[in-house]
Amino acid sequence: MQNSSNQSYLFKIWRSAVIPYLLVVFIVFFITLICLPLANTERYYLVSYLLLFALFIMATLFRLGPVLLAATLSSLAWNFFFIPPHNTFHIEKTDDILMFVLFFSIAMLNGVLTTRIRRQEQLARDRELRTKVLFQLTQQLSKAGSIDEVLKIAVEEINAQFGFTVFFILQDGNNILFQTGRLQKEKKLNTDEYNIAEWCFKNRTEAGAFTTNRSDLEYTFYPMPGTKVNPGVLATKQEKPVAGENRTFWLTFITQISNAIEREFLAEMATKARFLDESDRLYKTLFNSISHEFRIPVATIMGASDSLLSSPHPANIQSELHNEIFTASVRLNRLIENLLNMSRLESGQLSVSLDWCDINDLFNKVLEDLSGELEPFKVKVTIPENMPLVKIDFGLMEQVLYNLLFNATQYSAPLTKIELSSAHQNDELVIEIADRGTGFPDSTIEKVFTKFYRVDGTKTGGLGLGLSIVKGFVEAHSGIITVENRKTAGARFIIRIPTEKPDIKNLFLDNE
Amino acid sequence: MNENETILVIDDELQIRRLLEITLSASGYKIVQSATGKEGLVDAATLHPSVIILDLGLPDIDGHEILKKLREWYTKPVIVLSVRDSEKDIVSALDNGANDYLTKPFRSGELLARIRAALRSATEKSESSILVFDSLSIDLQNHTARKNDEILKLTSTEFMLLSLLAKNQGRVLTHQYILKEIWGYGYTEQTQYLRVFVAQLRKKIEDNPSKPKLLITVSGIGYRFES
Repeated sequence: MQNSSNQSYLFKIWRSAVIPYLLVVFIVFFITLICLPLANTERYYLVSYLLLFALFIMATLFRLGPVLLAATLSSLAWNFFFIPPHNTFHIEKTDDILMFVLFFSIAMLNGVLTTRIRRQEQLARDRELRTKVLFQLTQQLSKAGSIDEVLKIAVEEINAQFGFTVFFILQDGNNILFQTGRLQKEKKLNTDEYNIAEWCFKNRTEAGAFTTNRSDLEYTFYPMPGTKVNPGVLATKQEKPVAGENRTFWLTFITQISNAIEREFLAEMATKARFLDESDRLYKTLFNSISHEFRIPVATIMGASDSLLSSPHPANIQSELHNEIFTASVRLNRLIENLLNMSRLESGQLSVSLDWCDINDLFNKVLEDLSGELEPFKVKVTIPENMPLVKIDFGLMEQVLYNLLFNATQYSAPLTKIELSSAHQNDELVIEIADRGTGFPDSTIEKVFTKFYRVDGTKTGGLGLGLSIVKGFVEAHSGIITVENRKTAGARFIIRIPTEKPDIKNLFLDNE
Repeated sequence: MNENETILVIDDELQIRRLLEITLSASGYKIVQSATGKEGLVDAATLHPSVIILDLGLPDIDGHEILKKLREWYTKPVIVLSVRDSEKDIVSALDNGANDYLTKPFRSGELLARIRAALRSATEKSESSILVFDSLSIDLQNHTARKNDEILKLTSTEFMLLSLLAKNQGRVLTHQYILKEIWGYGYTEQTQYLRVFVAQLRKKIEDNPSKPKLLITVSGIGYRFES
């Protein structure tokens, strides 16, 4: 499995092939030499035991070939040197013939059996090693948090275990590899190779070098199996085909990697699906509320104007109808304004132009715009005498306060107090809007800034966008907005926006 | 009372033109309509209207371009009436010579008030050196201002600011314009000074400084002196 240079590779083969035979010959020769003094005694059988014992040992050490050689050599040596008549292969006694045959058989059998055991053992060891490698791979892959990480680990592991250079061609999520698929490390394949990769992907069959389909190519393409989605194709540059036990190992390896990629794939798809689901839900909510919220003022305008056109009314009824039309159109305008603001926020095209601003101006503008709505309430405005100028976007903050005050008028009873105050604390502009209205149910107070969220049971007349716009605009100022229920009754919104104090050099002010 | 005043409306939306025709005619103005920029420029040249109401989003020429072309020779008030509500558009229109800017949807009453103010500023400009706004009177020649017949103690900068705004009554002056006029070119970004002076001035000229009636803030754009 290891990739090694040519020279040392040949040396290894030579060593593993030739040395055992030489050793075997040497051992048999050595034992024979030691035992030679026993040749002319009655105890020459002892030599056979000794040789047999040596054979046992050799069988555990060497492969079948050397062992067979050892068995043959031993029996021949015993015959030649020890069985009378000496120095011939001739055997006189029937006992000796029997003994020789037995000796040879035992040697052979012993050699074969031991080798088989050894091979089994080797296989088991290999299997264990592979299992360990696979286990490590699985562990490594499970740590990967993205497809890119999986691919990185896969490339490293394949290189370490098989010595192949590989890269992955993953599908794009719609079962297409070519062009839209992800090609790892932007490795360029030519169209021909791409077509084969595509073929391999579609037919779930290996292709390219060492296969029956386009063996002239440089790469071998392996399909990556998946349970739900097939992630793509693995391309390798290998010097020889993967065969035998190794092939199973290799395919298992690919399967493991493939599973890891598939897992990331599915996770990605799930995220995408969730996102689509979410935007689908928003889309539906938006259209539901638009159709509802827009129809009401439109219906009012149509109904009232139609009534004015079709039949003569006394002056007081006429002016009431006109009033209805006007109110409905203001409401319609507010809806459009909110939708436009929301789309500015959503599109990320909101530009905040900070400029010095007098809080008095800001409050006045908003209070004036809402003078009609605020009429039934007691409005208390607090601005400290020494309130410095603040750097904000006037238009955006106007919208923020408009939405908050408008909300307060919608959920408070007439004659209750609505408070609007400002302060400058720790380089922050703090604006508070407090009412004595219904407040928010504690369980939903977290959600009030969520887009399209409306507290259950609130009266109609809104898209649920107002507060999310408020939050968006405040955050565009790097500020924060919080809401709390007041101890007695009502809600309090607190806006905090970081702002510096203006640098006003006396030089430019008059000496009074 | 407005019989001599012709108003040219340049707007491509028929419904808006019709609405303006009805409301403005009811107030006694004579209305001429143009649906395109080219037509509008020709009408302006031939009819010499007292006020032009201009839409920015015309099909043939951009409103800002029309404004520039008009301002090459037309000195009477131009009021922009547009759906474009970005500060950039408004400031640019005012810089190009628009007297006022109203965004659609608009209230007819508001538009009529702006037309009246624009007409008045156009006629009063050349007349006397004493401008009168209810209880406030400004003597441009003697550099004095009186509130309820009492002379106001104004610093020279305050008086410059007051007279600049008052001379352009009814017209929106952008921050940059005011800063440039009073402090010079180098100070067009220093809005904090303007804010400080406006606040000081309001304390002296307004009946209720926190609810100004004369010196009006135009959100994010500038100031207008209400006539």
